[in-house]
Amino acid sequence: MTDRPLFPAQEIGSLAKPRWQLQGVRGEPLDERARGELAAADRGLAFADGFAPARDALLAGRSREVGGDAVRDLGALFALRFFEATGLDRVYDGEARRIEMYEYPIRQMRGFRFQGHVRSFDNKYYLKAAVVDEVRLERPYHVEEFDFVRRHAHAEPKLPITGPYTLADWSYNEHYLARQSGWKGRAARRAAQREFVVDLARRALRPTLSALIDRGCRVIQIDEPAAGTRPDEADLVVEGFNAATEGLDAEFSMHVCYSDYRALLPTLLEAKRCRQWAWEFANRDTEHHDGYEVLGALAEYGDRREVGLGVVDVHRDAVEPPELVAERIRRAVRYLGDPGRIWVNPDCGLRTRSLEVAHAKLAATVAGARLARAEFENPRR
Amino acid sequence: MMVRTGLTGPFPRSEALVGATRDLDRGRTTPEAVEEAFQAAEREVVHLESRLGFAHVTGGYLRWPDLFRPIAESWEGFAVGPLQRWFETNTFYRQPILLAPPGRAAGALAARLPPACAQDPGRARVVLPGPYTLAGLADNRSGETDEAIVHRLGRLLGEEVADLRARGFATFQFSEPLLVVRPPTGPKAEAVLAGYRAIAAGADHGTTLVWTYGADAAPALGLLEQLPVSAFGIDLAETDPASLPERKGGPGLGLGVVDPRTTLGEDPDEVVRIVRQVYARRRPPSIWLGPGGPLDLLPWEPATRKLHVLAAARQALSEGNRT
Repeated sequence: MTDRPLFPAQEIGSLAKPRWQLQGVRGEPLDERARGELAAADRGLAFADGFAPARDALLAGRSREVGGDAVRDLGALFALRFFEATGLDRVYDGEARRIEMYEYPIRQMRGFRFQGHVRSFDNKYYLKAAVVDEVRLERPYHVEEFDFVRRHAHAEPKLPITGPYTLADWSYNEHYLARQSGWKGRAARRAAQREFVVDLARRALRPTLSALIDRGCRVIQIDEPAAGTRPDEADLVVEGFNAATEGLDAEFSMHVCYSDYRALLPTLLEAKRCRQWAWEFANRDTEHHDGYEVLGALAEYGDRREVGLGVVDVHRDAVEPPELVAERIRRAVRYLGDPGRIWVNPDCGLRTRSLEVAHAKLAATVAGARLARAEFENPRR
Repeated sequence: MMVRTGLTGPFPRSEALVGATRDLDRGRTTPEAVEEAFQAAEREVVHLESRLGFAHVTGGYLRWPDLFRPIAESWEGFAVGPLQRWFETNTFYRQPILLAPPGRAAGALAARLPPACAQDPGRARVVLPGPYTLAGLADNRSGETDEAIVHRLGRLLGEEVADLRARGFATFQFSEPLLVVRPPTGPKAEAVLAGYRAIAAGADHGTTLVWTYGADAAPALGLLEQLPVSAFGIDLAETDPASLPERKGGPGLGLGVVDPRTTLGEDPDEVVRIVRQVYARRRPPSIWLGPGGPLDLLPWEPATRKLHVLAAARQALSEGNRT
């Protein structure tokens, strides 16, 4: 796209679901606060145009009559307009139809059996499955979700999808490990994990990506939050990425966050069809530590790909001023040498922040990019 | 061959307890109902440990948010910090922050032990963080060197053990994954040894165990063998049993023979074969069988199945002794 501005802005993943959506999906009549938020959001964003009957029924306390799917449609429209209103160049639906990024994809496949809950920390848990047979895709997923976004988005749509390495890492490996002979030590586990990742990539991810591309999806972010868990398995992350995207034509990016990126380099750079690295930086950028210095490693290895630059921290409510965002962009340019390779975005999905904070952080992202753009386009100003 | 089995760390919460704690966070149940769920799950763990012939009971440490929190929340000099990844897992702990040289709060840890331990201290296995792992994973802003902190924590844990000894407890396990993940050398290794000497003094001939996991123990074996403890444990999913050098005597040997990283059940016969292979090479005075790491990396049901594997292996090994 030649008409794209310098430092275009994009969303990176999830957005908190509004109260009215949560209550509406459960079939509960909206409480006063939820009704007020829905009405105010629609006044501001006019997102429910064309969906007035569903909106009106929700406002009238008739959630059950609306049905979960229609409420999710409204939620997706809200997130689209929310992102677009902040001035983002690439948007999605804030993952309005998704509850999480593991269980849903796994439930679209055969070969898995859910085992129960594992504690992530404190009283937070996640449901974890074991692969007990060869992976088989029941049907490509996220396709209807993308269709809806494509029909309604004004800005360019970008679809996020959980990558094969993360799906494997967050599962127990029974089937492939059982095929390893002898004592199941580290070498056996690694060999089994490679088979699992590649099977997931070839049998589930690739057909899904192919179906999405057939429906017009051009920009796809493959999320690999588990990539940093075991840096010595960075080659498996790459193998999964390459197998999932083999022979496919789209703009692929890889999102990795809260990881020691240097430990993943240079192995990660072998991801062949990855056009953009979408990484988290702002969270680690402090008074005493330059969170963007790792970009120097990309330069050292001669990697010339785009960077989706995390310029706002999604784990803090404090909103970064646009001047700080602009300064972070300038620093990134110094490391990368080429302003044309930089996109700006939040570090990660904004679902942990309130909608008010998320809006302010996205607005700061766009405003900061505008400030930096003015400097680079008019360097003497 | 004297073989003992037991839990070496936290057991997963039951699905009922998961539901209760979630409901509490969402305001859908009462603290009293959650307390009942905790007690029911703890009773179930103790019942399992007893029925399966384990050497000690733990109650599963179901209430501990993570290995460090009871200390980070109660000892002087500590604060509770941000979430950090627990080694190579998708689970997290809150990083202890050392704002000043630490000091012990007498009785604070005893009050946080699972009720099952407190009710029958002679049968209980007290599981605490080892000084090296606690110091190494804390954010040290105290102004003291890391070596000094390791040594000081060893002394404090020694005092804690002496206190618990006076309350009737006799078996103390220190979880030390960092000893194999980042084996200490030089002054840090000296500090570890000094710390464990203090712990041994506090234990006053009680049983002390150091349990490692998460990496190949071979590079740390030299240090582990010098520790003044009853036994040290290694994770056989990470350490190749055939790589253990021959050595007769020394402390007892703990073997992590069930892997909490997979729901795939181990074959008890294969476990027995490996244990015999290791025993033949080292002839330790005692063998302690346990999970290779915290079993709460698994849900309740698969973790329970792993405990049955431990019991079956111990029984087979004991019967082998008699024939």
